[in-house]
Amino acid sequence: MTGLRATLAAARAVAGFQLARLCTPARLGLAALGMLFPAVVLLAIRRSTTGPLERSFGAVVLYALVPEAVCMLGLLMTMCPAVADELERGTWVHVATRPGGRRALVLGTFIAAVTWTTAVGLGAVLLAVLAGGMTDPWGLIAMFAALVVLSCVGRAALFALPAVVLPSRALVASVGVAVVVEYLAGFLPAVINQATVSLRLRSLLVHWMGWRQRMPPQLRLIVDPQPVWVQCAAVVVLAIVFLTVAIMILERRQFPPSEEG
Amino acid sequence: MIEVRDLVKHYRGGDGGIVRAVDGVSLAVEAGEMVGLLGANGAGTTTTLRVLATLLRPTAGTALVAGCDSSADPVGVRRRLGYVSATTGVPDRLTPREILTSFGRLHGLAETALTDRVGQLIGQLGLASCADRPAGRLSSGQRQRVSVGRALVHDPPALVLDEPTSALDVIGSRDLLDLLTTLRAEGRAILLSTHRLHEIEHRCDRFVVIHGGRVVAAGTRAELVRDGGELEDAFFAAVAGAGAP
Repeated sequence: MTGLRATLAAARAVAGFQLARLCTPARLGLAALGMLFPAVVLLAIRRSTTGPLERSFGAVVLYALVPEAVCMLGLLMTMCPAVADELERGTWVHVATRPGGRRALVLGTFIAAVTWTTAVGLGAVLLAVLAGGMTDPWGLIAMFAALVVLSCVGRAALFALPAVVLPSRALVASVGVAVVVEYLAGFLPAVINQATVSLRLRSLLVHWMGWRQRMPPQLRLIVDPQPVWVQCAAVVVLAIVFLTVAIMILERRQFPPSEEG
Repeated sequence: MIEVRDLVKHYRGGDGGIVRAVDGVSLAVEAGEMVGLLGANGAGTTTTLRVLATLLRPTAGTALVAGCDSSADPVGVRRRLGYVSATTGVPDRLTPREILTSFGRLHGLAETALTDRVGQLIGQLGLASCADRPAGRLSSGQRQRVSVGRALVHDPPALVLDEPTSALDVIGSRDLLDLLTTLRAEGRAILLSTHRLHEIEHRCDRFVVIHGGRVVAAGTRAELVRDGGELEDAFFAAVAGAGAP
């Protein structure tokens, strides 16, 4: 097999492992909760107002709930334990002693995390838009589907870093990374925010909703005026960089026997 | 086939001090030979095996498998070595066939060749009756056989096993050691550690005793054991002769 094909086959094998692990009643219950929660919130808001939910307001709420909250929580659950789970279950030694095992572990877990969380996010968008009763529901669904996919791809890759650097504290470290990188640096009107997924998602939302011209000048500083393809390409580039760095770190990691189990 | 030369491995301990887990170990295992690596807990056996398996990098010295250096060419070592640990790490929800197939894919085996290899291993390991049953419903012995199969899926010429019988009952242990004897007869080099000296006393070709990270005795059973004694007596004598680590 060629190198790329072998890597993809190995990553697919690990993704299959990880997805099988996610199909437990408890995890499926959490997925159902993640899908229903935004719809319940929008339904409650709709009940407190007369008539259908205003489209722009609904979009803001939906953005905060799905590409941000639901996707972030889903990825914390699926991507953060990438290495910690293997150490705890005693499978690390078996994966790490294969030619492309460490690389496949990062890529396979990334694929599983993106697949799982995207499915939950898409379900959440569909239910929430229908519950909100907003105008042009299919346009909103298509827009949020794209935002969910980009959120999952970018942030799963971002969370791969704490997963390999601090496996035993990956969850806490990932929350820290999310707060500091995505929500602090992402809102700074400086060059640093160019390297955040939140800037790209926010900019796409503003572009697709046609809000830019109506925004106050000071708020325009926290969105990027570049076209849609640049925002999408930026997320893909960020994901590739994060994953490459994570793989390079994991290839060098050593875990003394005392750190396992 | 397996060679360790002046291997040193130091860790940074929890208190910030240096732990000398392995301190100048040398050993060799030829093709078609089974060598027992003996040592008490903390002696350095697991660390030595993990350096060979490329899980740890040596502080100094070299660990070679089929001519590949574990530091300079870890991928080459991984292609030529099968590693089995005491904890099987076999996923409960997958069947032996699925586990072996998944690990074959990690080695980049083509699908047709992989299907044939998995079928062959299932027969060789005596797993035919439970090949499609979730591993969570297998006995400890069957799980360890799956673990051995996982180490053999890429048909490596060398095998390293770290306490493979520790979780097995007497029948499971005997079956596994019988299997290792067969694998040795196929020409594989086998290095295994165990605390159950009586199990391997008459099966291994040679023994290496490690204490305090150093080799304190090495040789065949005949060379180590005095008249009428057992391997365990020779082990205690070697360790006592070496003094406190």
